[in-house]
Order: sequence, then C-alpha cells, then structure tokens
Amino acid sequence: MACSRAEALSLFRSLLRVASTFKDYNIRSYARRRTIDGFRENQTLSDPSSISAAFSDGKAQLVVATRQALVYDIYAPTTKSVMETLGV
Amino acid sequence: MAPTVAATLIYVPTLSISLKQRPGVSGVFPTSSVLFPRSRRIGSHRLRVSCAAKPETVDKVCEIVKKQLALGADQIVNGESKFSALGADSLDTVEIVMGLEEEFGITVEEESAQTIATVQDAADMIDNLCAIKQ
Repeated sequence: MACSRAEALSLFRSLLRVASTFKDYNIRSYARRRTIDGFRENQTLSDPSSISAAFSDGKAQLVVATRQALVYDIYAPTTKSVMETLGV
Repeated sequence: MAPTVAATLIYVPTLSISLKQRPGVSGVFPTSSVLFPRSRRIGSHRLRVSCAAKPETVDKVCEIVKKQLALGADQIVNGESKFSALGADSLDTVEIVMGLEEEFGITVEEESAQTIATVQDAADMIDNLCAIKQ
C-alpha cells in the first residue's frame, strides 16, 4: 500500500510538531534534524514497496516520539541549555 | 593538553552563532524604520479586496524564508515571490510554515498550509490568525 504525497507531507508535519514539544534542547534539535534528514534522504524513492516501508518506519517513529515526549516531560531538566540563552 | 582542546571546541559554536545573529539583527532594523515600503503598502491596501498583511509581517516572513532556503542578500524576496520560484520544494514549504508558526505563536491547519503559494499568502494568513487569537 503506497502512501500519497499528501500523507507523506502530513507525517513530516506531525513529526516536526512532536519534535518541538520536547523540553530538552538536545533531543528537540535532534528530532527535528533527524526528520528533515530522513525525509530528504528518501525524497527520490520511486519503488512503491520502499516508499511504504519508509512511510511505516516514519509512522512508528512518530509513535515513539509522542510517547517519549510525555515520558521525558516527567523528568524535565530544570536548567536551560546554553544554546537557548543566546541572543542577549 | 586535553583542557585546551576542549576549550577551543567550545569556542567555535558560540563564535559562529554570534556571527549569524549579528547580520540578522542588523537586517531587521533598517527595514522597519524605512518609510517607503509603508507608503507603498497603503496604496496597495486600497486596491486589494481582502485585507492586506502588515508590512512588518511580510518582512518577518521574508526573513524566515531567506534563512530557510539559504538565499543570499542579493536575492530579492517580497510579497509576490512564489515559494516554488525561490527554489523551495514541498518539504521546504512545510519547514517554512513550521518556522512561521513558531515565530508568530500560531497554529496553521493542514488544509490552509497547503494553499500557501506566495509570501503574501503566508503573511495574510498569519495576520488573520493573530487577529483571531486576540
């Protein structure tokens, strides 16, 4: 079952939204970077089976990320990372 | 020996970030104090049927688009620039919309996000959403 272009973009948007909910700066920037790299890497896939494999992989990662955002939230870091205090 | 190596590693990121910040900050100030775009906008506001976006919003959107697509200072981005003409593919457009959401503190719906084609569309939608939020 191949996914459509709109579904892929919707997954991209959902992953980016979940990535921005992480409290830890490092994990937040990694999640954002990884989704962008992952989607760019698979941008030119043409084989339907590999497209659907990548899509289901992405959906599984979305489930993991939403769960982990909640789990990490329980023990959120109290001090802000130095990267977030720039711009003074 | 090891501490000095670590010290040099720490220095590099802050240097590059502060260098990136300065041009961005100095780029915002002149445009917000120039009167020409403002007077031009008022004229186009009368001609448009729908309410036009504020020039500050358009400028901010242009800044974010330029940063996302890594366009040079010589490339002109204004209200009528189409994202596809600037070399943005659909992934870039999604990233730009997410950046705009973060910058303006709004949430854009899926369907509305798919209809954005030019910088002006994005600025109009942002102003509508900000007005609804208030």
